[in-house]
Amino acid sequence: MSETSNIDIVKKGLGKRYRAEKRFRIYGICAIASSLIFLAFLFISIGSNGYTAFQQTFIRLTVHFDPEILGDTTNRESIASANFPSIVKQSLSMMFPEVTSRSDKRLLNALISSGASYNVRDIVIENPNCIGKTMQVWVPADDDVDMLIKGHINREAQEGERRLNDKQLGWIEQLEKDGNLKKRFNMTFFTAGDSREPELAGIWGAVSGSFFTMIVTLVLSFPIGVAAAIYLEEFAKKNRWTDIIEVNINNLAAVPSIVFGLLGLAVFLNFFGMPRSAPLVGGLVMTLMTLPVIIIASRAALKSVPPSIREAALGVGASQVQMVFHHVLPLALPGMLTGAIIGMARALGETAPLLMIGMVAFIVDIPSGFTDPSTALPVQIFLWADSPERGFLEKTSAAIMVLLTFLIAMNALAVILRKKFEKRW
Amino acid sequence: MDANMNPTMLLFTILLLSVMGFIMGRKRSYAVANQVGGMSNLHSRPTYYGSLTALWCAIPTLIIFSFWLLFESRIITDLVIATLPDQLQNLPADRLNLIVNDIRNMVNGNIVSSEPNPSMLAAAEHYRKLNSLSHASLTVIVIAVAIGAILVIQKTIHPKLRARNHVEQVIKYILIACSTIAIFTTIGIVLSVLYEAIRFFRIVPLSEFLTGLEWSPQMAIRADQVGSSGSFGVIPVFMGTMLISAIAMCVSVPIGLMSAIYLSEYANRTFRSVAKPLLEILAGIPTVVYGFFAALTVAPMIRNSGGVLGLDVSSESALAAGLVMGIMIIPFVSSLSDDVINAVPQSLRDGAYALGATQSETIRHVVIPAALPGIVGSVLLAVSRAIGETMIVVMAAGMSANLTLNPLKTVTTVTVQIVALLVGDQEFDSPKTLAAFALGLMLFVVTLILNVIALVVVRKYREQYE
Amino acid sequence: MKGKMFFKSLSITGLSVAAALTIGSLAFNSNALAGSARDYISVVGSSTVYPFSTVVAEQFGKTAGFKTPKIESTGTGGGMKLFCSGVGVQHPDIANASRRMKKSECEMCDKNGVTDILEVKIGYDGIVLANSKKSAPMNITRKELFLALAASVPEPGGAESVVPNPYKTWKDINPALPAVKIEILGPPPTSGTRDAFVELVMETGGSQFPWIKALEKSDKDKFKSICHTIREDGAYIEAGENDNLIVQKLDANPNAFGIFGFSFLDQNGDKIQGTPVEGIVPTFEAIADGKYSVSRPLYFYVKKAHVGVIPGMKEFLKEFSSDKAWGNDGYLSEKGLIPMPDDEKKAFNTDVQTLKSLSCGDL
Repeated sequence: MSETSNIDIVKKGLGKRYRAEKRFRIYGICAIASSLIFLAFLFISIGSNGYTAFQQTFIRLTVHFDPEILGDTTNRESIASANFPSIVKQSLSMMFPEVTSRSDKRLLNALISSGASYNVRDIVIENPNCIGKTMQVWVPADDDVDMLIKGHINREAQEGERRLNDKQLGWIEQLEKDGNLKKRFNMTFFTAGDSREPELAGIWGAVSGSFFTMIVTLVLSFPIGVAAAIYLEEFAKKNRWTDIIEVNINNLAAVPSIVFGLLGLAVFLNFFGMPRSAPLVGGLVMTLMTLPVIIIASRAALKSVPPSIREAALGVGASQVQMVFHHVLPLALPGMLTGAIIGMARALGETAPLLMIGMVAFIVDIPSGFTDPSTALPVQIFLWADSPERGFLEKTSAAIMVLLTFLIAMNALAVILRKKFEKRW
Repeated sequence: MDANMNPTMLLFTILLLSVMGFIMGRKRSYAVANQVGGMSNLHSRPTYYGSLTALWCAIPTLIIFSFWLLFESRIITDLVIATLPDQLQNLPADRLNLIVNDIRNMVNGNIVSSEPNPSMLAAAEHYRKLNSLSHASLTVIVIAVAIGAILVIQKTIHPKLRARNHVEQVIKYILIACSTIAIFTTIGIVLSVLYEAIRFFRIVPLSEFLTGLEWSPQMAIRADQVGSSGSFGVIPVFMGTMLISAIAMCVSVPIGLMSAIYLSEYANRTFRSVAKPLLEILAGIPTVVYGFFAALTVAPMIRNSGGVLGLDVSSESALAAGLVMGIMIIPFVSSLSDDVINAVPQSLRDGAYALGATQSETIRHVVIPAALPGIVGSVLLAVSRAIGETMIVVMAAGMSANLTLNPLKTVTTVTVQIVALLVGDQEFDSPKTLAAFALGLMLFVVTLILNVIALVVVRKYREQYE
Repeated sequence: MKGKMFFKSLSITGLSVAAALTIGSLAFNSNALAGSARDYISVVGSSTVYPFSTVVAEQFGKTAGFKTPKIESTGTGGGMKLFCSGVGVQHPDIANASRRMKKSECEMCDKNGVTDILEVKIGYDGIVLANSKKSAPMNITRKELFLALAASVPEPGGAESVVPNPYKTWKDINPALPAVKIEILGPPPTSGTRDAFVELVMETGGSQFPWIKALEKSDKDKFKSICHTIREDGAYIEAGENDNLIVQKLDANPNAFGIFGFSFLDQNGDKIQGTPVEGIVPTFEAIADGKYSVSRPLYFYVKKAHVGVIPGMKEFLKEFSSDKAWGNDGYLSEKGLIPMPDDEKKAFNTDVQTLKSLSCGDL
């Protein structure tokens, strides 16, 4: 009677099976943890590179608005071309009277951004009465000085190996000692367009370019996408034609974005002759790219509305259109919105198609309309990553941080919407 | 009303008139109904009469508006050119275009090229006049048509008018039009790459392109330069793409799948509601950011750790790009698999539990097999995503087309080559730039095939439980 | 209840009218384009000239009272194609080039009615070989570079034939060099930088073998195929045009060398060092006075038909050719552009003032 019963066999194996169970759960947790760790790693690495860009080194100058140097300042045009660089140079040499030789003066002037004279000019334009007076003005320091202050250039390095020599280091130390050199919040970064000088470069131009592009995308892709989804889900009969459309849409959702760029190049630029680098064209390309995403999400949202609602509506005599628009659509709308937001977020971060339609460009003036030349935020990141100046490295990371903030905000909005309106039937 | 409206304002006017038409049509239907003895005698509800009026007001005016603007600037330009002095008129068409640009700049109050001369000023003045005349007449015509349409519809409204059917028909047409845009997009894509691709295949035969084992488009930049022979064998490029995609899949499929299983089978509500959106952030990060990160952080890290282990790692290894791409795709795999796993009926699980299976056994032996076709479909979609990914590989992968399976070596991908060929310094009509379009076509075809397979697989699966 | 119905129906109509309006506004927008005018200069072309062109554009935009020119980085070839596609607002005014315009491109321009083109050389760009500061500098000759990079090299025994490149480490080439694996990151064949490098380094290096030099006269094609073909066995890594990333990669990999424009070395002097070629260290001065000979000219091309009709063209040309910009102490030199010798500068300045036309025959 020593025959082991089934229950014993099961019991014998039970420990092993529970261990397997535990292992399996741990794998799952590991999988999630590893992706989250990576996410944190990415954020930290970008954040630690980029947070310094939100501050900028400024130098305090005592500027004497000497009418003799400036020349004619009677109207706006003459102010624009007045000799402000000399004014700036003069105030700098007043601070360091011991610097006399020409080459040393050049070195000294190199400490100040080439944009300083525009700052001084703007003061005069704003307040023409200051001519002849003396004022204290904070002007941006050159990017090399900025990098040094932020510790991206090693002060201890050999003289020939840094972009600032020992004399300049001495001047900077003196400026620091006198309190004439300070790090302040970098407003320029948020208000200016692109520039070749890191200390003058800003993302506002790229942000407005992205904004116009997104407006075009949203205005076109949401109504069209919802309409297409409604037709396919609610009206279309199952036949070969709708089958083709369906396969098409699913396929387009997975077509590489760069191919949409090739399409934009061939159709919108070459065939319709639209201008290069315009947000309008960027928006059209993005529309075609996000449409399938929105259609698929909207169809899923329509599908999740239970058939009983449709039957009830039809049962009390509603027409098909009434049934869809009065009953199904309102219930599916939150899901559609979520899909649209996610599609828009994808479009906002997309770069590859824009490479093909001329939005990879140096644009200083802030775009003010749909046909003005402009870049987009991700393209600006791509361009800055390319620039030789050291100062652009932190600007690139900072621009990434801004872009990520937008994207996370959009995703969060989608999540909240979904949570708020998610219905279980 | 100001007769000289700009087009944007006119567009709003049309909208306003449509709303007015809606209200009037609706009112009219009440009036008609009252004449014949109450609302129940109307064919449709009053709002449909309103909608019908609004549609008939908006559609014709919008058509007029579009066509008018389409031809307006051309006609005005011709008229202005006719008044220009002879020596300007006789310029070739493209020069004339520049003069017109200058005139337009003057009209729009932009900066102009030089000191304006009297004939140009006169032309600008003429242009301005014609422009305002045209806008004024457009405004008048549009408003007249809109009001006319409203009045005509008002007249035709009677209790038997099948307003609802008309409106619904129009709505249906609009819906159909929207759904066909997808088809046009596909046609557009095919046409835009096909034309240049065919030109390429005239120079390099298709068979050579598809079977060649060497990709080195070192064709001359200058005419007198020999360089290497240009060989356009796509296999190494394609293998590079496949290698990077395979690495990406090795990262994303296990992690994505396990995350999906954990989230859908084990995790409690709160954990799920926190972890899922966090995972989705990975999918929302722009690829240019991943590229920047892969090139500057991950690639050096892999190189250094390879150096510690005594391995010879290239600084642009396929591993770095593949790894980062894999991480990008994790949420893609996990959310698709999540859907599929959730679609497996609870009864199957309950059956397995009843037989005494543990949760992991149920998952491994019941849930996953049942969900397998869907999972395969989602993996295929993820593969097509990986193949088409551009920015990560442009920034982090190399350019040399090595035919290798070693992930520590440098490989190149189809998308990298497209970007490099289109923005390079070589002559534009050389086979090199045309090759970019051939690659684009290939990319399109490959993703198409993958997607169709994935769709078929998913569809087959779906039928099992519905 | 009735009110709700009203709003629902209104929403149907609203949706359809919105759809119609979207289409209408689309038509309107694309038409607005036809009527809109361009009041800024449009520049396209090489990514190598881009950093210099943009500085001038920015300076110009801030001081001259015109809009800042738009500068696209499309690569020389892509830029030429756009530039040569015709005269008119929709086509760019200026094309930047990191090499001279090709005859075929000039002819394409001609065919499309772009007949009067002004050619301006803006200066020189040094092409440098550099490695990380973490490793020792290595003095190298062009002959050694040729041996390190060519796909096939003269047989080491001395016979007058070529064999596939057998050299794995620098020591194999010259015992005086370190026993470090040959690893060079450089531009892809689509790049003008690569083209210039091949011509300036590989050809000269190859010519130091008398029999290869003799080939140049007797069998030009063979000469070129020996000198111009770069090895593809992994020692030369095509690293894309993104030169700044090369700098980061060199910093991370002390054994590797990189080939790129001088401005990147100039900006990153604390991380990487220029490799002396034939004993000459690539410094600004050495490149400017011609001692360091690996440098190539940069150009831009101007459509003359657009001068005087696109606002600011003349002024932009004046700004570019002013001493303040391309002079020896100009702001372009601060960005790493090597100025031309004074007589050349003068000649091009005259060309700009007189708007001298380029004829395709000269190319």
